[in-house]
Amino acid sequence: MVTASLIPPLGRRVAPASATAAQALAHILPRLALQARQVSAQVSFGIHGRRRPGPGETFWQFRPFMSGEPVDRIDWRRSARDDKLYVREREWEAASTYWLWIDLSESMNYVSSLALQAKRERAIVLGLALADLLVRSGERVGLLGVTRPVVSRAIISRMADAMAISHERHGEDLPEAAPPGPRDRLILIGDFIMPLPDLEARFRALTSRGAGGLAVQIRDPAEAAFPFGGETEFFAPGTAGRWRVGEAADMRSAYRERMAAHEDALRRLCLQRGWRFFAHTTDRPASEGMLSIAMMLTAGQGNAA
Amino acid sequence: MTGLPLVFAAPLVLLALAGLPVLYYLLRVTPPPPRQVPLPTMPLVQDLTTPERQASRTPWWLLVLRLALVTLAILALAGPRWAPDPSPLGAGRGPLVLLIDNGWAAAADWSDRRTRALSLLEAASERPVVLRASADEAQPLIATSAGTAIERLRSLAPVAYTPIRARQFDVVSAFMAATPEAEALWLSDALADGKDEAVAPFLAALGARLKVIRAETSATTVIAGATNERDATVVTLARAEPDSDRPAGIVRALDARGRALGEATFDFGGGATAQARITVPLEVRNDMSRLEIVDGRNAGAVHLLDAGAQRRKVAIVSGETADTAQPLVSGAYFVTRAMAPFATLVETPRGTDPLARTIDDRPEVIVLIDVATIAGSALERLETFVDEGGVLIRFAGSGLANASDALLPVRLRRGGRVLGGALSWEKPQRLASFAEAGPFAGLAVPDDVAIERQVLAEPDPALTERTWAALSDGTPLVTASRRGKGLVVLFHVTADTGWSNLPLSGIFVDMLRRIMPLAVPGANRPERQGEVAAPRLILDGFGQFGAPPPTARAVARSMSGPASADHPAGFYGPVEAAVAVNVLPPDAKLAPLAFETTALLPLKARAPLDLRPPLMVAAVLLFLIDAIAVAALAGLFFRQPMARAAGLVIAAVALSSVLSSPAPAQDSARKPPSRQDIEASLQPRLAYIRTGNATVDETSQLGLAALTRTLAARTSMDPGEPVGLDAERDELVFYSLIYWPITPDRPAPGEAAMRRIDQFMKNGGTVIFDTRDASALATSSGTTMENRRLRQMLATLDIPQIEPIPRDHVLTKTFYLLDRLIGRYAQGETWVESMPRATDSDKRPARAGDRVSPVIITSNDLAAAWAVDRAGQPRFPLVPGEPRQREMAMRAGINLVMYAMTGNYKADQVHIPALLERLGQ
Repeated sequence: MVTASLIPPLGRRVAPASATAAQALAHILPRLALQARQVSAQVSFGIHGRRRPGPGETFWQFRPFMSGEPVDRIDWRRSARDDKLYVREREWEAASTYWLWIDLSESMNYVSSLALQAKRERAIVLGLALADLLVRSGERVGLLGVTRPVVSRAIISRMADAMAISHERHGEDLPEAAPPGPRDRLILIGDFIMPLPDLEARFRALTSRGAGGLAVQIRDPAEAAFPFGGETEFFAPGTAGRWRVGEAADMRSAYRERMAAHEDALRRLCLQRGWRFFAHTTDRPASEGMLSIAMMLTAGQGNAA
Repeated sequence: MTGLPLVFAAPLVLLALAGLPVLYYLLRVTPPPPRQVPLPTMPLVQDLTTPERQASRTPWWLLVLRLALVTLAILALAGPRWAPDPSPLGAGRGPLVLLIDNGWAAAADWSDRRTRALSLLEAASERPVVLRASADEAQPLIATSAGTAIERLRSLAPVAYTPIRARQFDVVSAFMAATPEAEALWLSDALADGKDEAVAPFLAALGARLKVIRAETSATTVIAGATNERDATVVTLARAEPDSDRPAGIVRALDARGRALGEATFDFGGGATAQARITVPLEVRNDMSRLEIVDGRNAGAVHLLDAGAQRRKVAIVSGETADTAQPLVSGAYFVTRAMAPFATLVETPRGTDPLARTIDDRPEVIVLIDVATIAGSALERLETFVDEGGVLIRFAGSGLANASDALLPVRLRRGGRVLGGALSWEKPQRLASFAEAGPFAGLAVPDDVAIERQVLAEPDPALTERTWAALSDGTPLVTASRRGKGLVVLFHVTADTGWSNLPLSGIFVDMLRRIMPLAVPGANRPERQGEVAAPRLILDGFGQFGAPPPTARAVARSMSGPASADHPAGFYGPVEAAVAVNVLPPDAKLAPLAFETTALLPLKARAPLDLRPPLMVAAVLLFLIDAIAVAALAGLFFRQPMARAAGLVIAAVALSSVLSSPAPAQDSARKPPSRQDIEASLQPRLAYIRTGNATVDETSQLGLAALTRTLAARTSMDPGEPVGLDAERDELVFYSLIYWPITPDRPAPGEAAMRRIDQFMKNGGTVIFDTRDASALATSSGTTMENRRLRQMLATLDIPQIEPIPRDHVLTKTFYLLDRLIGRYAQGETWVESMPRATDSDKRPARAGDRVSPVIITSNDLAAAWAVDRAGQPRFPLVPGEPRQREMAMRAGINLVMYAMTGNYKADQVHIPALLERLGQ
């Protein structure tokens, strides 16, 4: 028999004092952060690419000064040790900006006995790992509506801290505000449980300024397969209604059709706007989903470049 | 409660029935709630609906089913019992006086009586109780607790005499008068005891305060007496109710060692007495010491026979001089050999005046071989002996031919005659005829008896009638004459082969045998004033022999009355001159006791029927039906064939396990060898009989396991794990030693089991019977339950004669040198097959028979001494707990195993020095 339950909501069970809430999240997040780092270390090969000098901030190499170049490029400290003149070259950093959105709404608290992890935890793991991966390949990453895009080795802990502080106003299924720039990219991680018209409206708003992106749909296997039977009454976290089906097994085929239609619509929505779509269920390991996402991003970058 | 004989063990549980309406309401209004399951995707699918099935209310029949189920469960928990016979106890809290008849008549159904009395005492556990048996001393009653009374009841046993119950009436009446709230119960055997006039006043005086439980007397049959007739022993039987339904039965005659000698049937028809004729040969008849009704089970069905009916005591006095030189051709030798099978021979005292001292031994028959002159005082005493009923048999000889005396049946001529000798013309004479009137009548006359010399009688008118046997020429060979109550018999030839070959003939034996019964039994045993016989073997109420109780006192030799409290039935005095005291006086009549006024209760209360199991079974069945019905309602059967099949299988298994009782598997003649058998045949191992008593079985297992380890550590033998055997089913042939603790609380092993054990012992196996009651035997004078059970079991086995283990038995030498075989107890005796007597010249340190003793009986609880638990700690304390007792017990175990394995090998070992010497080493 499949059983399903809800994990405690982020910070909901502790006092509203934000300090206590942050502490409660910090109890959960270090483990997730560690896991995220492990996951991104496994796939870090997938996205490295621009190992050549160019405009950037980090040191790349010294090369001899060639006549005709502007004099102010000479690195006098290096040149003072030698008879020749040297120029300091920096690595070319064509950093684009990635905006990350992790759905922390109540429906993400769901976990069934078929799953390895709750949906929310899987989403956070994937999101933080992606952030780490992007930062390490030179991109700037920010939490949409929470932080500005940064490049930092401690991106995981920084984002975790930011989430702990901001999750109260982060409880939406999809963000309302569009990312700032047209060249920016947006990564949405969530379960996308919204009526199709709403979903379409949100997507239109997000892509109105031309941002590209990736939608990662997290599903619990129980949600996907509907393995329930017997006299059953369903309720959705965060909503008031109840769905009484007589014999649950009778509903299985209708349910699966409906869910497949929803997913198809979502996929179509993404493709229409040049987005990519990836469906991930929590009975698969996080690294597997991570690898697929990383490959998608690499391929997308190749296209962009 | 109500008029129904239905009682509840826990009536308060019935209060739960008041909750049934609530349950009814709840079951009715709340159909089983659906599962609550979270589903985040619900908003996407919320509009999907199935054709709505109305969640109907619980169907009425399911409701009834469940209510019935709960009702049955509550009723079952309340412990209902259907008790058709209400307890005879009143509701009062005063003392309860329980008077139990425990005379011999109570023995046949003693266990029923004890069960009934136990249930009564347990029902009265809150009240003071007085338990009084009719055989008790008539002391004033003192109330005790029910527990004490139960203890006393357990030790109470029927006695082998008729107690006078009227003695108890006075004390009971006095007690009842002193305590008005007391009530009395009399568990009566309902047989008149001769003092019955006190019964009616006793019953009348107590009125309704006394209830009488009356046992059935219809089955009580007794032996009233036995007489010896010419060709049979006639046994007279009596019974209490002439019209009872068991008119026929079997009477069996046993000898002193319990071997059956003969049987006869009897049939009462419609009368109160019957007769049975046991026809056995005379010499065997003399061995009879006990007559019993088969399945009589009480002391009244046993009749003991004493010396009065037994073989004659014969003294042989020889006047020959060649006795010591050539003993094998002496006359005394021939006579001894001829008479030994049917008479008790007394050794002739050596020294002066052997005749007088022989008479002092008071034989019934005296044989004089060629004693010619009998001196004055001896002659007088011999005449007295014959006058008192003794038989004097004389053989002629050279002495008698020349001198005669008064103790002869005929006057003899001087000299005698010689036939067929060198100086005679006549040929040896043949034996011709036996007198019709004499005791030899009917014997076949052999033609090979030749008489060469004889003494001749003077012609006399009385000679013919005194002649018992004559030669072919008419001269007498055997003459006899009555004298007083006795008889003088003369053989006109010698007892050796000097004068004739008569002593070599079979007719010689027959003739002597025919003379024996003519002696008056017990003649010449004048009662000396005050001569008494001490009790030797005393019957218990069940008719089994046992050691005399301390209260038994010696009887006068003239005792002929029935047994009493001081003289319970049994054998008194030494073996050769036993006095038998019987329960009933000769020609006793049995009569049922008449209870006129009081209402009588039957002895066997119909056993209360425990209604719990059927109620529980019904509840479980209903539960199964309910589960199936619910599954059917949920549509389980129509959608999931697998689940349906599984449900049906489960239901079928549950039903079959509830309905069928486990039947023992029939063992076929040719069953394949079991795993246990295969293992047992590969490695020697010790075995014990599983008794069914868990504690005893565990002790046996642990004890033998410890012994196995010790054997492996100390000896070259390495046995496998010990096994417990079921004597009725398991194959025994693989084991050489089987340990069998006796448990009287378990049913006796069946006939089949005993046959297998018998076969096992015949095949050379050894069984150790352990009665485990050495401490009980030491404190109680009589037999224990274990002992009785062992006897009952061994009665059907063909076991050899056994004896307490002699000090030089090889069993004490097989591995360790031991004095005794001790176990948990040290004082118990160990019995083994008896061995031939050691002779003085046989100075061997160890003796053994030709084989291993098939049976070893101990009471020392061997396994308990060996048993250690997992931690190696002893399981039981030892008695008396000497420092090395446990070690010595283990050594006894090792010796036992070695004895069973090696037999008399160690006894042969003592020859080794001699053998080595003979081999020249």
